Amino acid sequence: MTPRRDARSLQRRARRGPFGVLLATVMLAVGAALCGCAASSGTVPGCGDPLRLAIIAQSVPSASYLPCISGLAPGWNTSGFNPTQDGTSFLLNSDRSPGHPVTVRLAATCNASGASPSPSRAPGVLTYTRLDSISPRFAGTLYDVFPGGCVSYGFDFAPGSQIALVEQFEDAVGLYSRQQLRLILKQKLGVELNP
Amino acid sequence: MKGPEVPPLITASPGGRRRRPAGEPPPLPRHIDHSIRWYLALTGIAGALWAAMSVPPVLGLITRADLAVLHAVAAVRTAWLTRLMLDVNPLASPWTVRLLAFGTIAVLVAYRRFQHLAAYLVIFLAAVLLLSAMTREIGRMRPTGIEVLGPWQGYAQPSQPVATLTLALVGVLYTLMPAGRWRNRGKQAAGIILAAVCAARLYLAVDHPTDQLTALIIGWPLAVVAFWLAVPNDVFPVSYRGGRKAHLDIGGRRGAAIVTALDHQLGLTVIGVEPFGLEASAGSTPLRIRVPGPGGGETTLFGKLYALNHLRSDRWYKLARTVIYGRLEDEKPFSTVRRLVEYEDHMLRLMRDAGLPTPRPYGFAEITPEREYLIVMEFFEGSQEICNALVDDRVIDDALRVVRRMWDAGIAHRDIKPSNILVRDGHVLLIDVAFAAVRPTPWRQAVDLANMMLTLALSSTPEHVYERALGVFAADDVAEAFAACRSITVPNQSRSLIGTDGRDLIGCFRQLAPPRCPISIQLWNIKRVAVTAGLLAALAAAVALFDAYLSVAGLL
Repeated sequence: MTPRRDARSLQRRARRGPFGVLLATVMLAVGAALCGCAASSGTVPGCGDPLRLAIIAQSVPSASYLPCISGLAPGWNTSGFNPTQDGTSFLLNSDRSPGHPVTVRLAATCNASGASPSPSRAPGVLTYTRLDSISPRFAGTLYDVFPGGCVSYGFDFAPGSQIALVEQFEDAVGLYSRQQLRLILKQKLGVELNP
Repeated sequence: MKGPEVPPLITASPGGRRRRPAGEPPPLPRHIDHSIRWYLALTGIAGALWAAMSVPPVLGLITRADLAVLHAVAAVRTAWLTRLMLDVNPLASPWTVRLLAFGTIAVLVAYRRFQHLAAYLVIFLAAVLLLSAMTREIGRMRPTGIEVLGPWQGYAQPSQPVATLTLALVGVLYTLMPAGRWRNRGKQAAGIILAAVCAARLYLAVDHPTDQLTALIIGWPLAVVAFWLAVPNDVFPVSYRGGRKAHLDIGGRRGAAIVTALDHQLGLTVIGVEPFGLEASAGSTPLRIRVPGPGGGETTLFGKLYALNHLRSDRWYKLARTVIYGRLEDEKPFSTVRRLVEYEDHMLRLMRDAGLPTPRPYGFAEITPEREYLIVMEFFEGSQEICNALVDDRVIDDALRVVRRMWDAGIAHRDIKPSNILVRDGHVLLIDVAFAAVRPTPWRQAVDLANMMLTLALSSTPEHVYERALGVFAADDVAEAFAACRSITVPNQSRSLIGTDGRDLIGCFRQLAPPRCPISIQLWNIKRVAVTAGLLAALAAAVALFDAYLSVAGLL
């Protein structure tokens, strides 16, 4: 650093006081809170980004399908992406259902007892729906069951717009084939996805 | 009354004093340790790794190299070793990090190290945000093709548990541990803990080696560089030895820089420099400087070393005074250390020109540009603090005339107390003019008189001091002085001595002087209301934001 630059940087530092430092903390905290950069949360991988889907595959090594975001309708976003060795979960938030996100969870098994079959969403996938209530809230769980795992979607909507909201979250979440992911990882990274 | 003047060697050479040429470093240039350079280089490596990982073929190459290391480690897996590693792994759990982080914050608050606390909070939050952003951006899977034995959460790169544990440990080291032996021991202990955790997580195949490498770089080198920038140890040393935190160490490089600066800039050949009267000074580091005297002997000068931490203390002090006293203490904080020292030098010269018995100024020297300055003035050799001196009529009259002269010159000292009033050969000398003001409020001038009379009364009687004061001031002046006098307008030292003395000196003076209604000093104006409301709002916001902070920083 040249002396002139050194002096300038020191001048800048000299002007910073405890206020400056506290202000920086506050701005960082507020900024982080606003942009949802909390340490534990994150965005859910899209179906067109298979390298990021690998972590979901690792969370349930037996699952033949993996949930991913195929496209979000306007007013929807994702949060709380949390892959662990016991499964993966995330939230789908709609501005038409504030405070009541759809909870999506990939697990090795699901308890779909009492659920009614629905049209299948992918080859080899059995889809079920269980409604817990229709009024005053339209609440229940949708299941995509496939070999080695299942994806559950817990929803709780206000009556009126529930049909559109259910259609939108079903369209938002796609199912990615584990077999296809294995091939891509082999091709792009040269690694095997176990098992 | 005047002491011997030290002849600065300004004209030692026909060409005048040596001028520091452009480009030459100042006496004490900002020092960058070799370790800091290495840390910056390591940070570059982390950046390069992240950039490389955004290219799939390179990511594949790095992943295959990582897996080769993990397979080699997995070759030594045994049942007992697996149990041991599973026991070591929780060292990096969020609870360990929370314990360390909250412990650090608690100690920093307890010891009122708010500068370190602010730096810690900013650095911790910024690092966690960086980690979070990079984790999402890279989106790396956990090790594959090998059995993962331990628990995991989220993407692998960089390893969040390793990074946050490292950050928490570095926070302890650089905000709580004194530099030197204790910090070095702490580094060794932290190194052992991190080595154990990293080894366990590699053994369990939870992280790739490069996940840990980048995590360690963010948590250690990057954080250390940030602490070095925010709270450099030479300005904000961590110490538990008590005493004022404002004082700087004048040994080593700084000591040599002081000698060089005084020689080059003020033409003073320094024989010795030593701290002096540290207990009485909070706003600077006072020094006694020995230089060759006029007759070939040795004489002493007084120096005050000002640095950034003094400037910041001054800002807080003035903010507090604005809230407590309001409009009458309407003070603007200094924007830089240079301005602070320039002001004191100016006041020394102004008061000297006004015929006040203040120290002769010798100018100031730049130690580090905009960061550290040393102001040099006459040292009142052979003088005594007024409390320890014989206070006879001559001293009382002289002290009162000093106040009269300040009034006439339109100056207020604003810190009249026993430790700032010296007596030599029956004459009063006034020191520490840093708080002095030109064209002060009339209230402030009246308070100067009250504080001088209280100081004199401590070594005499209020009746006698009042009687002598009437020879210099009108009775109404004295009445005004004590109408403006309150507990908060009396300096701490005087207040303490009055308490020990036991006499109601203020009450006595009020009885002696003509009756006068108390002058309200708790004046409220828009600025004071705004500053007070702003501080209260900031406090409330800080409490609310601290909760948000803990959540964002992953400490909840």
